[in-house]
Amino acid sequence: MKPSDRVNKGDGGAVFLGMRHSFVLLVLISLLVGLITRALYLQVVEQDFLTDQGVQRQIRTIETPAYRGAILDRFGTPLAISTPVDSVWVNPDEILGNLAALKKVTGKLKLDYRDTVSMLKQRADREFVYLKRQLEPDFARALAAGIEGVYLQREYHRYYPAGEVVSHLVGFTDIDDRGQEGLELAYQDWLRAEPGVRRVIRNRRGEVVEELAQVKPAESGNDIYTSIDMRLQYIAYRSLARAIKFHAAKAGSAVLLDARNGEILAIVNQPSYNPNRRRTTATLKLRNRALTDVFEPGSAIKPFTLAAAIDRGHYHRGSNIDTSPGYMMVSGHPVKDIRNYGVLDLSEVLSKSSNVGASRIAMSLEKKQLWESFKAYGFGELSGVSFPGESSGYFRHHSQWQSLDHATMGFGYGMSLSITQLARAYAVIANRGRLVDLSLIRKEPVRRPMNEISRHVMKASTAQLMMKMLTEVVGPKGTAQAAAVDGYQIAGKTGTAKKSIAGGYQEDDYVAVFAGIAPASNPRLVMAIMIDEPTQNGYYGGLVAAPVFQEVMSNALRILDIPPDDLPTLARSKGQGA
Amino acid sequence: MNRAWFSLLLTLVLGSALTVVYVKHQSRVLFADLRNIQKQQDQQVIEWGRLQLQNTTLATHSNVESRARKDLKMRLPENVELVRLQ
Repeated sequence: MKPSDRVNKGDGGAVFLGMRHSFVLLVLISLLVGLITRALYLQVVEQDFLTDQGVQRQIRTIETPAYRGAILDRFGTPLAISTPVDSVWVNPDEILGNLAALKKVTGKLKLDYRDTVSMLKQRADREFVYLKRQLEPDFARALAAGIEGVYLQREYHRYYPAGEVVSHLVGFTDIDDRGQEGLELAYQDWLRAEPGVRRVIRNRRGEVVEELAQVKPAESGNDIYTSIDMRLQYIAYRSLARAIKFHAAKAGSAVLLDARNGEILAIVNQPSYNPNRRRTTATLKLRNRALTDVFEPGSAIKPFTLAAAIDRGHYHRGSNIDTSPGYMMVSGHPVKDIRNYGVLDLSEVLSKSSNVGASRIAMSLEKKQLWESFKAYGFGELSGVSFPGESSGYFRHHSQWQSLDHATMGFGYGMSLSITQLARAYAVIANRGRLVDLSLIRKEPVRRPMNEISRHVMKASTAQLMMKMLTEVVGPKGTAQAAAVDGYQIAGKTGTAKKSIAGGYQEDDYVAVFAGIAPASNPRLVMAIMIDEPTQNGYYGGLVAAPVFQEVMSNALRILDIPPDDLPTLARSKGQGA
Repeated sequence: MNRAWFSLLLTLVLGSALTVVYVKHQSRVLFADLRNIQKQQDQQVIEWGRLQLQNTTLATHSNVESRARKDLKMRLPENVELVRLQ
């Protein structure tokens, strides 16, 4: 501007001022229009995109943890429970940009730093990589608190407080909480937890400030009350383990039933494993042999051969059987007794365990009749528990029997069954002829009437006669004196079976069996024991399996407050003193 | 008349606006409380699990048996020591 402009105060000055005014106004208006346009643009054109971005930064869908149902014994003692743990995870992209933090974490987690880095580099395209799973929550929280880029994920770890005592029954889960074996597998759907989903608003620091909606509520799994009584389970486990060791046996199983409703109170196997530390476990130890493994039961079957014949009126209380000369030939094969017992009555056939006697009785029935009776006692059918891998045994249709089968079936060869099936069949005798479905799950306090949970398969009079005869087997003249319990009448039968191998029988390998009922006057408990290949200190059922019965049963009768029914023997043993 | 209506509505609008602010604040506070309580609950669930495990470990039958036999010198009574009451 020239100095002359300022001196000139005429029209030119007013024009100049007017121009300035409009100029400023124009600028201001154009700025305003610009702002409004921008606002309109953001509000209208880009609105969806921007809202979306905002939501993405603030709103998160997060999981609400839920825990798997517990497995409990009949009184609520936990056999398997889930407790919260935390798993540590990182976003590889993020943490690889902060190696100092990573070094700190790997140090605390006792992980190899170099390995971790190369592992994370391999997985750099992912956003979620576990560093270490299932840590104690307090430890994990302290670890993650100090270090940026390290996150925690809540999980549940499955603990098995009862360990190896009940491991075959309960089974276990994998690290993602899915049942793999045993009840964990059988009741997976019932136990399973469904994590919930929530939509929340988080602030800049990642804290949840508001919950918008619960998309899906968390559903924890349901608990299972099993029929197991841990006190009896432990005693049975201890006795069986001791017997296996004493007789240097390969394996063994035992089942204890409540005769009145078919609940399994204890079910134990050897060898066992600890489900809390099972990475090193050989799979052969995982089997619940009491349910999955079958064997030829030998003489333990004889009571049922007799019952089938008595039920059909072929024999009665006073019948005699001539077993001389101590052997008989069936289609060219000998059936032998240990010695020539001569003429035996029915209860002596049991108490002396005569194979010839049992064969004669079996042959007095038609194949079909014997097959029907055995089938009715539950041989060849599942026992009613729903357990993965349960075997129904090996019991051929009578049309496939040779005459030798017909004879050997009478003393428990040519068929095989699990120890649980054997126990269930003995419960028929205990229940006056009723076959009850077994259960691994506690039946509710309301006991269902017997005719709903069982069916008649043997005459009540026959069952009572069998009880009487089986009581003599455990009596002073029988083969199972080792099973006697002071103060109680015990009924039972031993079995010692040669193990079958391809094409015949192994001379020196035996299976020792005992099955028994207590107390005989008012049966409450049934127990069956099988010990596979005892090699030391005897191999007879009466020597190997019967003592396990005695030990478990004497404790069980006391623990369950079952009153003694044989006071005279108690008085006698009192006389002998301690 | 119009004036009176106007001031009444203005008061109501202002009052409502302030109430919204207040309620929003209340809801934030309560939500923070809820989160705290949930955290406590979580902590207690952890504690409960730990106690349950501890309980079952200590009450393991083998443990109880060995304590009873060794430390307390307990044993099963012999038959001569039993008296039957009826």
